[in-house]
Amino acid sequence: MGSLFLRSGRGLVTAMAVFWLVFLVAPIVVTLASSFTSSTYLTFPPPGWSVRWYLSAFESEWVWSTFWNSVVIAVVSTAIAVALGIAAARVLARHRFYGRGAFEYAVLSPLIIPGVVVGFALLNVSVLIETQDAGLLNLIIGHTMVTTPFTLRSVWSSMAGSDISLEEAAQSLGATRWSAFWLIVFPLIVPGIVAGAIIAFTFSFNDVTISAFLSAREARTLPVELMSHIEYLPDPTPAAVSSLMIVITLAFFLLVERTVGLGVFADR
Amino acid sequence: MSVGRAWGRGSRFPASLATPVLLAFAVFIVAPCVMLLVKGLEPAAETGAWPDFTNVLGVFDSKVGQQALNRTIRISLIVTVICMLAGYPVALFIARCGPRWRGLLLAVVIFPFLISAVVRAFGWTVLLGDSGLANKGLIALGLIDRPIALVQNEIGIIVGETHLLMPYMILSLLAVLQRIDPNLRHAAESLGASPVSVFWRIVIPLTLPGLLTGTLLVFSLAMTAFATPFLLGGGRTPILTTLLYDYAFTLFDWRLAASIGIVLLVLGILFVTVHRFVSSRGMRSYG
Repeated sequence: MGSLFLRSGRGLVTAMAVFWLVFLVAPIVVTLASSFTSSTYLTFPPPGWSVRWYLSAFESEWVWSTFWNSVVIAVVSTAIAVALGIAAARVLARHRFYGRGAFEYAVLSPLIIPGVVVGFALLNVSVLIETQDAGLLNLIIGHTMVTTPFTLRSVWSSMAGSDISLEEAAQSLGATRWSAFWLIVFPLIVPGIVAGAIIAFTFSFNDVTISAFLSAREARTLPVELMSHIEYLPDPTPAAVSSLMIVITLAFFLLVERTVGLGVFADR
Repeated sequence: MSVGRAWGRGSRFPASLATPVLLAFAVFIVAPCVMLLVKGLEPAAETGAWPDFTNVLGVFDSKVGQQALNRTIRISLIVTVICMLAGYPVALFIARCGPRWRGLLLAVVIFPFLISAVVRAFGWTVLLGDSGLANKGLIALGLIDRPIALVQNEIGIIVGETHLLMPYMILSLLAVLQRIDPNLRHAAESLGASPVSVFWRIVIPLTLPGLLTGTLLVFSLAMTAFATPFLLGGGRTPILTTLLYDYAFTLFDWRLAASIGIVLLVLGILFVTVHRFVSSRGMRSYG
């Protein structure tokens, strides 16, 4: 009786877990599958298969122009976020000073402040100083600020285990502070930098919230443009574009998995 | 010296490293938020003095604002409860799996949450549409006899936000589940405890800190989600974030938009403070 109860309890947990795991992948699978539809409207399962919507996506001017915008914004903001993240992680891992807590709070604050608030607040400033048409610059600034906490945390945790005495030994043997950092600390934190950079890039490339507020007419990102196409155009081109974004994200996901492991997401 | 000193010689303020970082955050995060506060608390009348809270309070006086606030809280509560009830079995299941399966299932949990919210919302519009799989399934089960509206309303927002936020709950729970010492369970069982009482008296209490973390995380992120409710809720079911967007870009009432921003900002800070307080207490009482 007890074992029957146990087995049915376990079976119930398994059944519920499987249901919710399917729930988690369902919209992704459906998007991928429906992008290969042969019909002019979206249904799942598709009545027939074709790649016509991919051809349509590749021929669309808006896809290419906003894709390159997104890539430029993600690359530049990730590079700056990594630099800021290394500096901030170094400060937090190595120095004890009055106001250290406030420093940490300030640098992690974009995780606390809702994205719409960051986006709208930055838009306010850009309107005030009349740079609201410099969409690319505003987007880079916004994305840099919200992705720096990711690079900081990832670099910081890779610094946590390292030993200061190695660096001090190098310096006492004549290395400059810069070469001690470059030759001893940097190789140790490379995995943290790689993981942080990939997370920052993925976040920036996929972001809608900040971008929806800061996109100017000629500087829109792919997700923002995709959003307006989903709202108004019921043709399956957005399905093809969405699928391509899934594939790009998958590539980065596998890169993280192969290089530093999924632990970077789980240990949060 | 096997355990290195964590701190360097520098106990002074590391100006050359910290200044650029602080400057960036002061100019691009703190200053804009202060400006938002100033704008939202601007006096409504010429003669009024700053700060004037009538606009912020006015958000909740208007029918639209009141409804948006209620809807935001209602949806966030429902999403949090679903994530709790769904996340628990998933986390238990993954914790129980062997290392090979665990890696794969972890990937299934983590991958969706890297994908753009727009793409996921798009997937749900296909699934939940009139001719979508969800309606077909419900009809096949005989629960309904004609397609019902599952998107462009609160149901769509709830489904989308559940999908958006469940990974946070699962990961929070897994973090504590994996730290439970299997010997505890063996000891309890060898002393005659039934599996059910092991579950209720050992597993549940030991996972409470993770459940609490996950709950606060999911609730606060549900309150401030934007793209998902924007795309799945349609125009007639605004929540606070989408209402802010509407005020900013459709009605061009930036003072009201700023007022909603202030409300969201305060909520965000409130949740983090509660979270810190709870997690530091949780650490103390559960080791």
